[in-house]
Amino acid sequence: MSEIPFKNPGWAGNVGEYDLTEEQVRGIDFVGIRPLEGGHPGGSPTYPYMLEEKDPDAPLFEGPYAIRFEKMLTRYPTKQAALLPALNLAQEIRGHVSAETMDRVGSLLGLSSAFVRGVATFYTMYNKRPVGRHFVQVCTNISCNLSGAEDVLDAFLEHTKSEIGETSANGAFTVIEAECLAGCGFPTCVQINSRYYENVTVDEVPRIIAHLRDNAAEAASPASEE
Amino acid sequence: MGYPYSHTSEVPIISEYFGDPEARTLDGWKARGGYQGLQKALEMSPDNVVELVKASGLRGRGGAGFPTGLKWSFMPKTKDKPHYLLCNADESEPGTFKDRELMRWVPHQLIEGCLIGAYAMGAEHVYIYCRGEFFEATQVLAKAVEDAYEAGIIGDDVLGSGKKIEVTVHAGAGAYICGEETGLMSSLEGDRGEPRVKPPFPAAVGAFGMPTTINNVETLAVIPHIIKNGGEWYRQWGSDKSPGTKLFCVSGHVNRPGNYELPLGFPLKDLIYDVCGGMIGDRALKAVIPGGSSVPLLSAEEAENCALCYEGVVEAGSMLGCASVIVMDETTDIVHQVTRMASFYAHESCGQCTPCREGTAWVTTILQRIEDGRGTEDDLDTLVELTEQMTGTTICVLSDSVAAPVQSSIEKFRGEYLALIRRGERVGAA
Amino acid sequence: MAKKTKQIEEPAVDLVTLTIDGQEVRVPHGTTLLQAAEGAGTEVPHYCYHPGLSSPAMCRLCLVEVEGAPKLLPSCTTTAAEGQVVRTQSDPATRMRRGVLEFYLLNHPLDCPICDQSGECELQDYVFAEGREHGRGRDAKRVLGRDDFGGDVLFYGDRCVMCTRCVRFMSEVEEKPLLTVVDRGNRAVIDTFFDQGLEQAEWAGNVVDICPVGALVSKDFLYKARAWDLKHTDSVCPNCSQGCNIELHTRDNLVHRIKPRTNPEVNGHWMCDYGRGRYEWLNRGDRLEAPVVNLEGRNRAMGWKPALEALKARIEALGDRSVKAVVSPFWSNEDIGEVTRLVDALGGGSVTFRSPRADDEVSLAGYEGLARRKDLAPNTQGAELLGCVRVGDDAGQGGLDDLADHDGVLLVLGDALDDVPDVVAPNAALVVYLGAYTSSALSEVDFHFPVTTFAEQEGTFTNHAGRVQRFWPALSGPGTARPAWLVLGALMGALQNAEGPSRADHAFGLVAKAVKSYKGMNYETIGAQGTPSQARETVSGD
Repeated sequence: MSEIPFKNPGWAGNVGEYDLTEEQVRGIDFVGIRPLEGGHPGGSPTYPYMLEEKDPDAPLFEGPYAIRFEKMLTRYPTKQAALLPALNLAQEIRGHVSAETMDRVGSLLGLSSAFVRGVATFYTMYNKRPVGRHFVQVCTNISCNLSGAEDVLDAFLEHTKSEIGETSANGAFTVIEAECLAGCGFPTCVQINSRYYENVTVDEVPRIIAHLRDNAAEAASPASEE
Repeated sequence: MGYPYSHTSEVPIISEYFGDPEARTLDGWKARGGYQGLQKALEMSPDNVVELVKASGLRGRGGAGFPTGLKWSFMPKTKDKPHYLLCNADESEPGTFKDRELMRWVPHQLIEGCLIGAYAMGAEHVYIYCRGEFFEATQVLAKAVEDAYEAGIIGDDVLGSGKKIEVTVHAGAGAYICGEETGLMSSLEGDRGEPRVKPPFPAAVGAFGMPTTINNVETLAVIPHIIKNGGEWYRQWGSDKSPGTKLFCVSGHVNRPGNYELPLGFPLKDLIYDVCGGMIGDRALKAVIPGGSSVPLLSAEEAENCALCYEGVVEAGSMLGCASVIVMDETTDIVHQVTRMASFYAHESCGQCTPCREGTAWVTTILQRIEDGRGTEDDLDTLVELTEQMTGTTICVLSDSVAAPVQSSIEKFRGEYLALIRRGERVGAA
Repeated sequence: MAKKTKQIEEPAVDLVTLTIDGQEVRVPHGTTLLQAAEGAGTEVPHYCYHPGLSSPAMCRLCLVEVEGAPKLLPSCTTTAAEGQVVRTQSDPATRMRRGVLEFYLLNHPLDCPICDQSGECELQDYVFAEGREHGRGRDAKRVLGRDDFGGDVLFYGDRCVMCTRCVRFMSEVEEKPLLTVVDRGNRAVIDTFFDQGLEQAEWAGNVVDICPVGALVSKDFLYKARAWDLKHTDSVCPNCSQGCNIELHTRDNLVHRIKPRTNPEVNGHWMCDYGRGRYEWLNRGDRLEAPVVNLEGRNRAMGWKPALEALKARIEALGDRSVKAVVSPFWSNEDIGEVTRLVDALGGGSVTFRSPRADDEVSLAGYEGLARRKDLAPNTQGAELLGCVRVGDDAGQGGLDDLADHDGVLLVLGDALDDVPDVVAPNAALVVYLGAYTSSALSEVDFHFPVTTFAEQEGTFTNHAGRVQRFWPALSGPGTARPAWLVLGALMGALQNAEGPSRADHAFGLVAKAVKSYKGMNYETIGAQGTPSQARETVSGD
């Protein structure tokens, strides 16, 4: 690797010449805790959290989530256009997109279940099966590959004791290969739930895993509590 | 400034506040000259705004390099239908990481550019389509949008002008093909992100069937500065055909990878050896991909004689694309990397067009077989022919994009393929 | 309504002149290159394009060379422009097709020997014409297996060329989006919502028609017959009053399947599952095969001449009697027309018919004017225009109580009277039955004449909207069965010392004389696509 001095606060990626904290790089303080009901409708279709605690049986949609869903509907000229945001929201709550979820979202938007299935299966991020508490996605595309991403992937598999794409026995980790995460200047780029871990080397892997185990609440992006 | 390293060669226009946490706040942006461009634009006629952008010669920064002002002028002048401006923040091209920086360091710059563009084209709604993986950056952007609404910068009465413009930050769900403009529109409409045949062009029939323009994040980020400072001002950098500056995303075997904003036409050699501090461990340069994985590889010699502007890279034998420079040294296993790139395209193909759906997977399978030591020399010819059959025959250019690394690597690194095929020899650690 | 754009003979506004493969072609503004080429006699290979569906231009098979364009253009979506020079057979175009076909074949299983589509397969045809002789794939093919989509539809995923015609049909035409593409890239496959299948669909059979390969096949037709052994005959669906234009596909004098025939004025390219599935009754073996005359309490089979002579004698012997007739709306205008003509000749009388009706109409949401009608017979309108009156219930039963006391002549055409518990019209002086089948109610009638079903003769039906449509014989009738109009015409000829109609078009001529709405119609004007009459609305409903 490069011999130039290297600062990686909180795995926020090398800050090089800059003197920045993790919060400053990620914009955590700026964003604060995003309200579950979505804040301004203009931002409601985004997908702020991939929560560790998932409830596959949670109703769609209730409470603040229902408010967020209604806000989403106001932003598009058709109900169908709210499909991706609605599926994103459903996955945020339930952790994955099951057949029942597809059916339910379809009926909320007046779309056939088959159509929703076609859309949900097109996109990589919709988990078709439940995933572990920490969903580890290691970029192995070219820029990260040139910097040892495949070794990082192997390290994650080894230290989480899981098979690629399968959840570990204790349900804590699922590790997969990801396509380019757009963090190419900070190889290897790993996404765990909603957060990017950048400039990850093989040596860092055990530390990250320990960090996830010890600081469960912190490891997710600004976590929300009901 | 460059992030995380800066360099004196840079001309920081849109990257000036990278690494400056205050710049993402509304007050911080205003204190840094923010929203003056928007103010000025609102005092001009929309047509004059378009003319100004045309005069600057700004070309789309998402990879296609289409003149932005010209694209904006395609929008109908009559307003009998809603017009839409879509900001393409679905940054997924391997090697590219500039839009994320623009979104998380200077979100208001992007918002300002969107509002100016919307005003110029008579659009009352802007959708910023962010890739789903960008949780953190999208939230920064969403918060900035919220702040702008609160301050009356977005909404029913933009900066008191009486104009109405809405902004919605929309998250995708993981598909490279949604970065293609018609694929993005399909996805926004709540469908599979499958690209559409052109014609009809988006400016005629776009999102929701309405006139639509799609611009990349970086393109829109430049707009406020052009409005503030003028078209001629922008032309003081770069070349006649490639005016202005560009964010170059450098990754791979260099000492200082990161984003650098440099005038177009900057020598690739200087970018690697000077700006980025040279090759790691002083190893020899082997190959460079100048514009993201969808453009041909350059050999070391071609790279060292390449000027980083649209026409310069074409002359060197590749394309500028989104200016994502991937630097590979002598330890690189070219066959392995090309195979990995091919598998990326096979994974991301939407599956509509048969040459792409079958071809990307077939090319990947053949390359994997070669990598496994079970390839033949015929396979190389087959690869070249198949990728020829995949070029110019599909709705979008994902299919053509596979041809670039495969054909250029077979042409320029044939020896490496042959060594593997004939003698099972592989190049060192990848 | 999907109208086929044809090259226009009469002068029209807004024509565009272009050259296709060296031939000058003039087409209306807005015509696509593919349609224009069709008009010039060139079929450009294509999968995803279908005249009744949207054009996504995704199969990439229809790309043609257009002079001046930097790339080959999809002819299904490129509009013809003045002065264009188009080449479909040039080197770039044929090389491109060869290349694209190679990709289609990469994972395609060599199923031809066991695939129903063989002989009518657009992949076979195109590859044979222009594809590579040898495949270059050395790796294992993708295997998807067979999926039962429910109803009559089976899906062989390996054979699919991902044209998505089926998905678009369900979504755009039936407007029940029950099919979708699941996953993306080379993992993409057509499927329904998990096990939901096509249960709710009522027009799903059309996806089997439009599938260019053997991916979607009919369970009913599976392994039944080879496409090249089947004879195709133009006909009209007999299962409701919509009158969808169809083809009967037959082999060994049996109907093996029904396929829709394109008619923009009636059914477009489509037909419903209800109609499509009901053809077995045309293959019934329990048929009357020879005239049977009841002499001295015994039924004797005999030839037509003696049977008709005997009937003539009986009628003349009876003199003036009241006459009743019962006909069936499953018989043609020509047949029913001769019944009414005979009834008039015998002094007039009531002519009634029973017909089954459904409670509901099953319309094709995305195609205006097409539905499986409540009226489940093909020629109700025809019968009514000839003065017949519907009796009985919606099961097509009852309404014949008045026959119990009838003491005159009873003429029955087609209606097998299955619901009549005892012998029909026990007090009638003479009962003549012309039909295809028999029943207990007919065990003691005086004359049984075996007649052909519509599938075994030429004739016309009049649909719910008053449109008269022709059909042609697809099967040979059993034994010495003859068309009813021929039999009755001969009888009337004998009674009146004249010639009866010897050809179906003559028989229709007699009908056209009797029905005002058919003024000026003849077989030529009706043609193969039918023609509207002046009777636009059904009399007793749809």
